[in-house]
Amino acid sequence: MDFFATYKNDIWGREVLRGVSWDLLWLVIVAAFIAIAAHAVYEATQKREDRPSSDGPKVSRHEMIDRAGHWIMAISIFALLITGVLPIIGIEFAWLELHWIAGIVLTAIVAFHIVRSVVVKKPSEMWISGSDLKEPFDDTVKPGKYSVAQKGMHAAVTVLTLLVIASGIIMFAMIDTPWWERSNSMSEATLGFVFFIHGLTTLGLIGVICMHIYFALRPEKLFYTRSMIKGWISRDELKANHDPQRWTPDETP
Amino acid sequence: MASFDVMPDVQLYQPAELDDALNLAERFGDSGWLVGGGQDTYGWLKDRAKNPQAMIELNGIDALSGISETDDGIEIGATTTLREIIRDERINRDYSLLAQAAGRVASPQIRNVGTLAGNLVQDARCWYYRRGLACYRAGGNICYADGPESMNREHAVFGASRCVAVSPSDTATALVALEARMIAESTSGRRSIAAEDFFVGPDTHITQMTSLKDDEILVAVRIPSKWAGKRFYFEKVADRDVWDFALVSVAVAMSMDGDTIADSRFVCGGVACTPHRLTNVEKAARGKALSEESAEAVAGLASAGAKPLNYNHFKLPLMENLVRRAMRG
Repeated sequence: MDFFATYKNDIWGREVLRGVSWDLLWLVIVAAFIAIAAHAVYEATQKREDRPSSDGPKVSRHEMIDRAGHWIMAISIFALLITGVLPIIGIEFAWLELHWIAGIVLTAIVAFHIVRSVVVKKPSEMWISGSDLKEPFDDTVKPGKYSVAQKGMHAAVTVLTLLVIASGIIMFAMIDTPWWERSNSMSEATLGFVFFIHGLTTLGLIGVICMHIYFALRPEKLFYTRSMIKGWISRDELKANHDPQRWTPDETP
Repeated sequence: MASFDVMPDVQLYQPAELDDALNLAERFGDSGWLVGGGQDTYGWLKDRAKNPQAMIELNGIDALSGISETDDGIEIGATTTLREIIRDERINRDYSLLAQAAGRVASPQIRNVGTLAGNLVQDARCWYYRRGLACYRAGGNICYADGPESMNREHAVFGASRCVAVSPSDTATALVALEARMIAESTSGRRSIAAEDFFVGPDTHITQMTSLKDDEILVAVRIPSKWAGKRFYFEKVADRDVWDFALVSVAVAMSMDGDTIADSRFVCGGVACTPHRLTNVEKAARGKALSEESAEAVAGLASAGAKPLNYNHFKLPLMENLVRRAMRG
């Protein structure tokens, strides 16, 4: 545990958790870059089929509201990482207020996303099912709207984001805001645990986001990134990467 | 908390040249500890609450000591003692605000050995922090001074951000009022920092009180001639008349145009994590004569925006009264 956490003595002299060990930050960054480099080298050695054309008929992949939600979420997470992590590595500025404001934005957009996913959309299309697990091992099996890798990434981001938000809300209660004065009501051991979870999930998010950005920028995946900006993929891209039986999107002008 | 009669095992360096001190400061970084008069140092070390690897004593460096005239005011070396400042003729003539503030620091014995730089860069006096608890200021995740049962009579009413400790320096308030500049030097060069920017709050640097970097040494303080010979007022309220830190202090520099205030700087100590300028009081005081009437008109502005803790509400009327007394003339 010492490798993951730092400890302190509480006011009674008992050893309690203080938080995550931020030395892990460098480990996470190095591990993410090694994984990215290994994947890039592996992909470079693979024979590539011609990429499907982006011209021709288009189908809708992401509605405007979902795209806006994705980018608001991305901006707020980046703001949270910048304001939360830079002071830890020695770039000091008045970060706390910016951090909790970005946290409120993230919480609101995540809450909206959850409600919309449950009420308006089909939550099942994003969650991994048994049939998805064939995909990595069988080239003939194509995914529905989302590949198993995308679903896995989404699941990891969901768990990490919900944990970072839950721990962040508890920590938010411990500082002064325009709406309340802080309370020091939590035991130091519990507070240390909350700091530990917040820090650990932050580190997890840094790793997952590094991978997410890498895959978003890979040449064969760029059409997904374009679809998150413009909303559409071409009919050819659909045919090459998805099973039309499992996902039948609407044509878009 | 364990306290010891003897010093811990620590390397002691006593450079005679500033360059040597700068090299040592660079070499040891945050594991080095600069010592002037030692009045903030020895408590930390004997309590084992701070454990530097090396102490770099600056008293043997002649270039850091003494008071000299510059093209625009005076320069005071970092290791100039408070006693020397109190007794200096030029300071008493032109910048008596600083002499008054220095004269209220601690006790005569401490002023004999305590240096100006030491008084300026001394660490927070919050007793929870001084006890060695792992509070925010010590790199932890809690403030022990800001809880329902916390004893926070001496703590901040302005500018707290997680940590609620106050700036304990008496001379800092006077130097901010006099628009002094701090000269910091490292092996990479010198920089001049406005006194107001030299002291930093916990929103930015929660584990330090000043903007000095680990490898920098505060080598001198320059006071411009702008406020030389102007009207000054200093008052410090503490639980004891000697050997105590300010509950609230006020340092005021006023430039008079006949009977009215043309310009002024009001700075309060003991109320925030940095010397706290009362800019609304300064604006309101402009064009007013020193009188009971003016005092009543501006005093209430002193505490505007304050956020007192459980046990320090008394600081608000105290601040107002000190401003009132400064404005009475």
